[in-house]
Amino acid sequence: MWHLTLRDVVAHRARFALTLLAVVLAVTFVSGSLLLTDTSDHLLDEQFGTAAAGVDLTVRDAAVFGAAMGVEVDRDPLGPDVVDRVRSVEAVDQVMPVAEGQGLLEVDGEAVVPSGASVLTSWAPEPFGAFAVREGRAPAAAGEVVLDVATATAAGVGVGDTVAVLTDLRTDLEVVGLAGFGDADGLPGATIAMVTLDDAQRMLELGDGVSELRVTAADGASVPDVLAAVRQALGDDYDVATAQDTAAASADAAKEQLGSLGLVLTAMSAAAVLVGGLLIANTFAIVTSQRRRELALLRAAGATSGQVTRAVLGEAVLIGVLGGVLGAALGVLAAGGLRSVMAAFGLPLPEGVTVVSASSVVVSVVLGLVVTVVSAVGAARRAARVAPVEALRASVDLAGGRTSPSRARRALRGVPLALGLAGVAAVVAGAPVMVLVPAAVATVVGLALLGPVLMPSLARLVGAPLLRTGVTGHLARESAARAPRRTTSTAMALALGLALIAFMTVVATSLREGMTGTYRETVTADLVVESARAEMLGGLSTDVAHHVGELPEVAAMSRLRYGHWLDGGQTSALSAIDPATLAEVTDLDMVAGSLDALADGGVVVAASVAEERGLEVGDTVTMTFSYTGDQRLPVVGVLDSVDAQALSTGWFVSLDTYAAHFTEDLDASVFVRAADGVPADEVRAAVEGVLADHPTAAVRDQAAAAEARGATVDQVLGLVTVLLVLTVVIALLGITNTLALSVAERTREIGLLRAVGGTRRQIGAMVRSEAVLVAAIAGALGLALGVGLGAATVTALGRSAPLAIALPAGRLAVVLVVAVVAGLVAGLAPSRRAARMDVLQAIATH
Amino acid sequence: MTLLTTPPSPTDASPGAPAPAALARGLVKVYGRGSTEVRALDGADVTIPAGRLTAVMGPSGSGKSTLMHAMAGLDHVDEGSIRLGDTEVTALSERQRTLLRRERLGFVFQAFNLVPSLTAEENITLPLRLAGRSADRTWLAELVATLGLGDRLTHRPSELSGGQQQRVAVARALVTRPEIVFADEPTGNLDSRHGHALLAFLQRAARELGQTVVMVTHDPTAASFADRVVFLADGRVAGELTDPTVPTVLARMAGLEQPAPRAEV
Repeated sequence: MWHLTLRDVVAHRARFALTLLAVVLAVTFVSGSLLLTDTSDHLLDEQFGTAAAGVDLTVRDAAVFGAAMGVEVDRDPLGPDVVDRVRSVEAVDQVMPVAEGQGLLEVDGEAVVPSGASVLTSWAPEPFGAFAVREGRAPAAAGEVVLDVATATAAGVGVGDTVAVLTDLRTDLEVVGLAGFGDADGLPGATIAMVTLDDAQRMLELGDGVSELRVTAADGASVPDVLAAVRQALGDDYDVATAQDTAAASADAAKEQLGSLGLVLTAMSAAAVLVGGLLIANTFAIVTSQRRRELALLRAAGATSGQVTRAVLGEAVLIGVLGGVLGAALGVLAAGGLRSVMAAFGLPLPEGVTVVSASSVVVSVVLGLVVTVVSAVGAARRAARVAPVEALRASVDLAGGRTSPSRARRALRGVPLALGLAGVAAVVAGAPVMVLVPAAVATVVGLALLGPVLMPSLARLVGAPLLRTGVTGHLARESAARAPRRTTSTAMALALGLALIAFMTVVATSLREGMTGTYRETVTADLVVESARAEMLGGLSTDVAHHVGELPEVAAMSRLRYGHWLDGGQTSALSAIDPATLAEVTDLDMVAGSLDALADGGVVVAASVAEERGLEVGDTVTMTFSYTGDQRLPVVGVLDSVDAQALSTGWFVSLDTYAAHFTEDLDASVFVRAADGVPADEVRAAVEGVLADHPTAAVRDQAAAAEARGATVDQVLGLVTVLLVLTVVIALLGITNTLALSVAERTREIGLLRAVGGTRRQIGAMVRSEAVLVAAIAGALGLALGVGLGAATVTALGRSAPLAIALPAGRLAVVLVVAVVAGLVAGLAPSRRAARMDVLQAIATH
Repeated sequence: MTLLTTPPSPTDASPGAPAPAALARGLVKVYGRGSTEVRALDGADVTIPAGRLTAVMGPSGSGKSTLMHAMAGLDHVDEGSIRLGDTEVTALSERQRTLLRRERLGFVFQAFNLVPSLTAEENITLPLRLAGRSADRTWLAELVATLGLGDRLTHRPSELSGGQQQRVAVARALVTRPEIVFADEPTGNLDSRHGHALLAFLQRAARELGQTVVMVTHDPTAASFADRVVFLADGRVAGELTDPTVPTVLARMAGLEQPAPRAEV
């Protein structure tokens, strides 16, 4: 039967072209996501590997954990004695002390703010550093700096120019050289300023301390032996590791930051595959029903039902493999495109040549194959049931509208939908939010099953306005209503894409409203100073608070900073506050205990945390800090959940407690209350005035600071929406494909309409109306599904956090309008084809 | 069963009748090129008198369907002239021919005459609705009553018998009171009882209403219902017969079927 399969695909290539395109698009998305994730990981490994290539060991101050949530912890500097002790180990060849920290580059008075880190480091010549001078020379004296080529090129800086580097100090430096990182011009998303060790120590205020030691082993000494020897010489207070392990740990931390993006990509790929699968299933169903007579003929000629099944599945295999291979190949381009999309939403990934791994290609091709074949199974089984006698019948029911299911089967089909809706209702009533996942799946499956039963009424209802456009609208409406199976599967594909968009929109908007709302209610400060950059822990120098606090226009000032800790092995976050001044700039409600008690070294927890963990004032909790390890802290108060959310975490310590357990010394927010009688803009001008040397410190009024809480949510929503648009595009291809097949199926009808006086324009309008109708049905279903599930999710989440359902009517309306317009576009090609149909041939067609 | 509410034109079949409803002169239609060339029409001259039922007959391949399609504005001809009243059909654009079909012609095909998603009534009024006009309710009611479709109006084609479907098609063809109704083997799919009823109705439409009807058929019994039969062979008119009967038609057809040189009348 293989040659028959092949011939059929070739003979009907137009009919399969769009199906193939759908497979290709879905696989391209998956392949692009996989390649992008692979490439990012590979680039990070390579980047950190290159940096460590010539070094055998690294020595740093000990830390209980090296990184949390993708952020490497700060460590205490190493004293000069450590350098001597390492040097004295026999098997050690050379020791290169390195001082490294943050230093914002300023060129011609303008801060150069990269998407990633602004690195200031002491120059480490090869083999201790991966930077090699490409132009000029290495820094040799005070006041000299070498920049990475990429940064220098972008900023228009050359050897001989003067730049400034801002740490807590401002230092003017002369550029004496430009350096490349291995083969690259620099590090992605970072600026690198390299100075002498003395300069770095002074600028970073390290005294005679250094950040890390890079060690090479003596000739003939094995790295494990040297490692053991150095460990023995230094004791447990220091973290001695092979350079490879250190590089791998750093790379892992960097990868963890990208992990959530990978998750988003995977979820969106899955959506694309699902919608693609629906489209494939639909096409195969229509094509098979159009071929009933041919299949019956095959059966009459002696083909077994198994052979017929295999013939249909053979087509699926062919299309699946072809689509998988093409999609895998296009994935290379898509990876670059996805990276650009990410970057456009402020989520930069490391850039470099896309790495094509065999596993990604295999996964993509297999996925294309499996999705196509699985989607075609239903059609293949129906094809096998075609009776040979159908070949002899005069007319074959081409509309695919078989006898309506019996009452019992209809009732059975309603079961999944009923279960799904019951699940959603249960979640709203109090069941855990995770119940929503199976409930949503059941609802979608239920709608797909019941669709053919409900669709005639739904199509006539949604299509009612079409009646005003006259007979063409009437015909379009009837066509959609009378092929309920086809209309359902076509609309469901688009509805799924739209439902995901609507769901994300409702949840994200509610989250944002919740975040900004609680912030607005809790934070009463007139001004908030925050870092304009996206550091996870915030990035304000302590000087900011210091300068601001000294202003006469400022009546009160309070600082907020964040830290990571381990909660029984799980990474968690805490907020550090000043109990003495926080009340001046916030409106906090304590459920129990008091904030002031923090001054004695305890911890305050949010009411939601207290409830979840069964904590009360007087209990003791164990918190693990990177710097000081396990610590037992008394619970001294319970803070209202809404207020805790405004301050971003559920755990609060005093700034003094923070200082005792953390090496990090950066503020996240500085809250400012203006002195009585000083106009707002005057205070603002004063604050901005003293922050001239802190170009990344953004001064915001309370409303703007509240809005900034939602920025991340908007960012993710924007990204997800753009990615979901691809899913919608695949679904629209489905509409085009279905209508094209439907037009072919209705050739006689269209010929008749033309013969009795239907103009080409009217025939075109009829097909376009049906496209718009299907899109509108999908829009209605999708919005109902997405908004319903979104609202249920928000309700469930709202039980543990202050959250109310927010329905962005404008945005949802835009989704609907875009869907309908897109439906119109999807109908253009089939409508043109229908309009151009030759009347005589159409009448003569059997 | 009377159709006399509408003012009929004179219906006696005497010669010297009114101006013809349609005139075709020197029609040539060629399919293919070179060795595969087929001259479907090869200088056909046909006059369709107004208010009569004219049957067009001929062996397969004689060009009778092509002639009908050309006269009805469904197809182009390569040469020749077709006048419908004052209109030169061959000079019309695609759109004008569509409007001509909608406004001035009616069609009954052998099969698949009806749009499956529309009810019988919606199918009948389809040409009017395509033109954005509303139906003359009196005329519609009369057609429906005469054709015995009264209790079938809300049914869809799949719920109608073959005879009922063809009667709906006839009603649709007449609903615009077209200048000419073209019927292409209208009884081809019907049993003889239903076929005769339909033919009798077409005959009455011509005789009592003065409705011009052109019917393409290969069935001598169907042709015997016509006022006049035009015979076609090899793309040309090969004679005609007034007041045909089954035997006379059969005799004439027998002459045409001979592959030899064309029989002259």
